Amino acid sequence: MHPILSSLRRLAIYLLAWLLIGLLLSVGLGLSGGGNWLTAVIFFVPLSLVFALITQSAWYVCRIFPLVRGRAWTVGTAQILSAVFASGIWVAAAGGWARTLDVVGVGAAGAALYTTQRPLLFVVGALLFWLVSVFFYLLIAFDASKDAERENVELSLLAREAELRALRAQIDPHFIFNSLHSISSLTATDAAAARRMCLLLADFLRETLRLGGNDQIPLSEELALADRFLAIEQVRLGDRLRITRETDAGAAGCLVPPLLLQPLVENAVNHGIAQLVDGGTIRMAATRTGSTLTITLENPCDPERARTRGVGLGLELLRKRLTNQYGATDAVYAQEREGEFRVEIRIPAVIGVPA
Amino acid sequence: MTSSEEPALRVIVVDDEELARALLRELLGAHPDIEIIAECGNGFEAVKAVTDKKPDLVLLDVQMPKLDGFDVLELIGTDVPVIFVTAYDQYAIKAFQVHAVDYLLKPFGAERLAEALARARTRIGAREALPAKALVSDARTTRAPLERILIRDRADVHVIPVAKIDYIESQDDYVQLKVGDRQLLKEQTLAELEQLLDPGRFVRIHRRYLLNVARLARIEQAVTESRVAILQDGTELPISRSGYAKLREIL
Repeated sequence: MHPILSSLRRLAIYLLAWLLIGLLLSVGLGLSGGGNWLTAVIFFVPLSLVFALITQSAWYVCRIFPLVRGRAWTVGTAQILSAVFASGIWVAAAGGWARTLDVVGVGAAGAALYTTQRPLLFVVGALLFWLVSVFFYLLIAFDASKDAERENVELSLLAREAELRALRAQIDPHFIFNSLHSISSLTATDAAAARRMCLLLADFLRETLRLGGNDQIPLSEELALADRFLAIEQVRLGDRLRITRETDAGAAGCLVPPLLLQPLVENAVNHGIAQLVDGGTIRMAATRTGSTLTITLENPCDPERARTRGVGLGLELLRKRLTNQYGATDAVYAQEREGEFRVEIRIPAVIGVPA
Repeated sequence: MTSSEEPALRVIVVDDEELARALLRELLGAHPDIEIIAECGNGFEAVKAVTDKKPDLVLLDVQMPKLDGFDVLELIGTDVPVIFVTAYDQYAIKAFQVHAVDYLLKPFGAERLAEALARARTRIGAREALPAKALVSDARTTRAPLERILIRDRADVHVIPVAKIDYIESQDDYVQLKVGDRQLLKEQTLAELEQLLDPGRFVRIHRRYLLNVARLARIEQAVTESRVAILQDGTELPISRSGYAKLREIL
């Protein structure tokens, strides 16, 4: 969108400014060139209004050749050529206008003015063209800074929303409904087991709330939370769900965003183990190599399972979260191959005491 | 609530979780007029048990491996009333579309179960069975294109991923699926199945044939005006004029 031609109001203001320029030209060039007031105004005011429209082309020059560091020569050349071209057209138009005035008989003085002031007219035209260019460059810079500001606000809003949604998505309410159903069943057959399950569930929920409030927690705490979740699911799924875990000592102390693993273990249970008649083993591993913490989670899955529920959502949210936090877009790598699902998370290994 | 003169309801309980089955066993135990004739841990067992034992009512979990509750219902048809049992409420609308008797949300108690059983008795008393075909198409219209086709062969169930199908041939009220060396019959018309499959992958090349486009090797001109599709395994299928137009659109 052209910033001036697209709005009648702006165009009117702009033309008014050029009317002023036209009057100045009448004084500067007309009177000094030996003309009288009237002929100078009749000659220069319409001409400057025409040039006002011609110089609007500077907008496109400014858009095509933005002020970028290292491109000064290109921009300069483009501006010089455009100014020469625009001013050339203007001077030609001035010639035409002078002849028209001559023929109509309004004043032979116009033609005289044109002949004497032609070189000066050309220079003034080029300068005016550049003035308009500068104006457009300022406008572009102003818009860009406004856009950047809005984008920043939008980004931080998005980040906060993603964070909130991620937190909310961490605990699937159906997990709680299913657990309560299991407890309800156990109360008649195994009261002690029902009580154990109640305590497990309460522990898990309390820890989720506590850890979720922190920015960073040690990986060991995150893994302990995943253990609690899986212990509850083991009550529900029985011996179909098996778990192995390997954590090297260097990895356990690394700081991670809270509830990082929760959507992953939930996926592994719901879309992996629970979809297999004979169940399978969830394998978790965490290692630290140099400055990178690598966490992997593997589980068997049925390649022919019906994919109706939102499988990718948890992964997608996690990806966004880690991108927000570490700026790396490749922190999460997931793949499914021949009935094995594998997720790998690579984040910077940071050791410290959480605030 | 129930009188002793009524005949006992013969019920099959289907859930992949032992604890959930145990709870139903316990709660149903309070109803003297209910007899659990089978417990199944997955959909295959459920289809087999329903076929062999002809129950009066099935209590059916939705989330199960391989075949979910809706798959099982599609395979057993409406001959048997079904009460769905699940922790997820998002399937409720679909459950009513397939004319389930009731929809129990986990966790539920004795009262809610009794209510569902009473509803089942009313349904059985009214004998309002629905034709299986209407049921399947009702349930499917809201779904994405089929990814797999379920075929019931007496008590056995075959799950065929659509990518493995070479072509499907119409046989009156049945369709015959050609899957590698196997030929499988399913009670459904070719037109119905065509609607359920992805039109970008399966093309009705002839009144009697629905072709998996991925299997097409080339098209040959036979006698005037008629064409033949040659599949990768050398099978030849006739192509009608409108079938040829559809094929050209996709290729």
